[in-house]
Amino acid sequence: MSATTLTARRRERVLPPAVTGQELILIGVIALLWVLLALANPGFLAPYSIQNMLWRLAPVGIMAIGMTIIIVTAGIDISIAAILMVCSVTIAKLIAENGWNFWLAVGVSLVIGAALGAINGVLISYGRVPAIIITFGTANLFQFLGLRIFNSKTVNGLPAERGILGPGEGGRFLGLPIAFIIMVVLVAFAWYYLRHFPGGRHFYAIGDDERAAALAGVNVRRRIFLAYLVTGLLVGLAAAITIAGGTSTLDQNVGKGQELVTIAATVIGGTSIMGGRGSVLGAVLGALLVQTVSSGVTQLGWPSQLSNLFVGLFIVVAVGADLIRERRRKAKL
Amino acid sequence: MAVTLLAQRPSAGVPRLSMTGVTKSFGGVHAIRQAEFHLMPGEVHALVGENGAGKSTLIKIASGAESFDTGQILIDGSPVTIRSAADALALRVATVYQEAQLFGQLTVAENTFLGRELTRGHRVDWAAQNEQVGRALATVGLSDEFATRKVEELSAAQQQQVSIAKALVGDARILILDEPSAILTDSEIENLFVAIRNLTAQGVSVIYISHRLDELFQIADVVTIMRDGVTLGTFDVGELSVGQIAEAMVGGEFAAAAGRQARGAAEVVLSMRELTSRRFHDVSLDLRSGEVVVLYGLVGSGVAEIAAAAYGQAPVLSGTMRLRGQPYRPTSPAQAKAQGVSMLPANRKREGLFSFQSIAFNICVGSLRLLKRLGVFTDAARERGVAASMIKTLAVKTPDAARSVSTLSGGNAQKVVLARQLVTLPDVLVLAEPTQGVDIGAKEEIHKIVDQLCERGAAVLIATSDLGEAMRIADRLIVIRNGTNFAQFAHGVGQAEVLAAASGELTREQERELARQEAI
Repeated sequence: MSATTLTARRRERVLPPAVTGQELILIGVIALLWVLLALANPGFLAPYSIQNMLWRLAPVGIMAIGMTIIIVTAGIDISIAAILMVCSVTIAKLIAENGWNFWLAVGVSLVIGAALGAINGVLISYGRVPAIIITFGTANLFQFLGLRIFNSKTVNGLPAERGILGPGEGGRFLGLPIAFIIMVVLVAFAWYYLRHFPGGRHFYAIGDDERAAALAGVNVRRRIFLAYLVTGLLVGLAAAITIAGGTSTLDQNVGKGQELVTIAATVIGGTSIMGGRGSVLGAVLGALLVQTVSSGVTQLGWPSQLSNLFVGLFIVVAVGADLIRERRRKAKL
Repeated sequence: MAVTLLAQRPSAGVPRLSMTGVTKSFGGVHAIRQAEFHLMPGEVHALVGENGAGKSTLIKIASGAESFDTGQILIDGSPVTIRSAADALALRVATVYQEAQLFGQLTVAENTFLGRELTRGHRVDWAAQNEQVGRALATVGLSDEFATRKVEELSAAQQQQVSIAKALVGDARILILDEPSAILTDSEIENLFVAIRNLTAQGVSVIYISHRLDELFQIADVVTIMRDGVTLGTFDVGELSVGQIAEAMVGGEFAAAAGRQARGAAEVVLSMRELTSRRFHDVSLDLRSGEVVVLYGLVGSGVAEIAAAAYGQAPVLSGTMRLRGQPYRPTSPAQAKAQGVSMLPANRKREGLFSFQSIAFNICVGSLRLLKRLGVFTDAARERGVAASMIKTLAVKTPDAARSVSTLSGGNAQKVVLARQLVTLPDVLVLAEPTQGVDIGAKEEIHKIVDQLCERGAAVLIATSDLGEAMRIADRLIVIRNGTNFAQFAHGVGQAEVLAAASGELTREQERELARQEAI
């Protein structure tokens, strides 16, 4: 056990591998789908098509960062679709009806997202009620709030192109959608934070064994509160990208189903629904897979419900693989 | 009483840790009374006593997990206040509890530093953590490459070593080990002992709790014996035998336990031959109708798992079981029950009771098929009738069968679970820790019910770690040690003899057997 062997070993492996097996499989599956889709429809790999897909990926990928942190702590947030709706309609109203500057409206959206996330966080961490119950309740509450802001009317007269967050020419840097680049930067930061900062590691400890984490001196409540707060903030950002999408009208269906897409992406990415395990890299790959499937189904002209079928299958396979791994691990002990 | 004949250890020097006159009661019941415990620097101090003797309460007080009513704690001669686990750690008193408090997903180094990470900038300083943990791991006999392994990849023994290493990184000078050997194999225990000796050589004082009395002679310098919340004294280990310690632990009062009539030989209902699973091996026994066979062993000896195998709740790897002569290998409790084997789970709250339901429901839930009317509906009137007669037979203390079962006390709740098995008399009844957490009166009544069942022809197999209970109700008592039958006793055997067999001393026959083998 000399100093040299220690140093050598230190370089080898300090943490679990940066890219897990499940993530490699996901990359393989996505690559395979892209090849198949390109063979079936050469237009699939056209720059416009790819740019559009990456832009669509951005909001889901950004929300999946927060969802990953939450699920790693053994929680869940099914209210994010409702938060997305409240934030979207707020931005839309402020710019279309009150003539606000887009970025100012985005700032408001971030604040509202964080505030709604904080409500979830307080109730879950300090109220000690299971996350699924709380966020099911707040989802309805936020939905009500959003519908009040809509005031039973669609929001009309949104400008056709909203610059650098949008999918168009003005929203690209080196050919890539800027929204996508923002997502990549956030994912990279979250990935590094979760791996290398004490606070990030504590999320995993909490999901593994909350009581033991508390005994080890982790401020469990504060960590859990932060997970929901950050998720709300990220949803506020996702709302800004959604609004920058370029449709002139915003209706009350905005955000519908996004919580399920986000949870699907996270779970497909290898985050264990039991907590304690998962990565944002996997979640974004999961989001890309979901996006690829829905884009592919559309481009092939197949009925869109097939997209649900495929995503459903991926979830079952991903969760099944997780449970089988878990059982093997238990059997080994 | 034997204890008074033993020589108390003479005290010399200033103890590292002194607990004097410590008393703690829970709701008027004394858990410990005027306890005296003095730990010298660099010694391994064993703490022994039966379940409920007050050992864990005493160490919980020392480690800040429990408060105390009166008394004083001194470290190196000066009074200290230990009110929380953090207080204890600050005084460099570290405790390794029986269940490891580790995170499977995190590495050994991360586990060790969780909540007190070493950082450089704001990031975790992995290199420094791994290096420090490597040193602690070396002390407990693990190579430093374990620092970066995930805890879930380690064996139970390795996890235990990690727990100790974790305690050492905090620079402990008092290390409390709560039954560290319960889950370890012999060679793993050897490693543990090497680690402990390393520590004491560095001046660390160790409090060692164990039910395996034979171990004390290998590792401990002195032993403090507790009984009924009282510390009987501290003795040099070399001056005692396993038998003497066992006698002091149980006291003399059980010698006159009520004798029972030996029951005549009847047909074998359930037999096991060389039954083996992951937790026990080569277990053979015969259970006859109308008799009570008790499997007695210490926690971790495999007793509970043998009982679980008998009603199909634990997988069997090899060996055979026969029920009334027919091959029997249940894969679920439902299958066992269909063949006439009923069971009473040890963990009532989790496995035995439907806590939101009425007492009547809880009694009848296993026999709803018999209570059906027109083959469809459960006959509510009959359900109530059956429940009422059971409540009367078992003397369950409740005004009304329709009450929620959660209103009952522990002993009465246990009777309800027992009643469920009695609605249809089983051929074989398996009971796991039937009176755990039950007060003395209810315990007595439960034992009476077991007697009645036997008289009606049931064969009863009881797995217990409560020696008094084993002595009281067994027709035959099989001692399980290290996962296999170790010795068998008939009713009326001495308690100390059973305890000695279960916890380490060989029986005379076995000593002779061993001598014969050595001679060959």
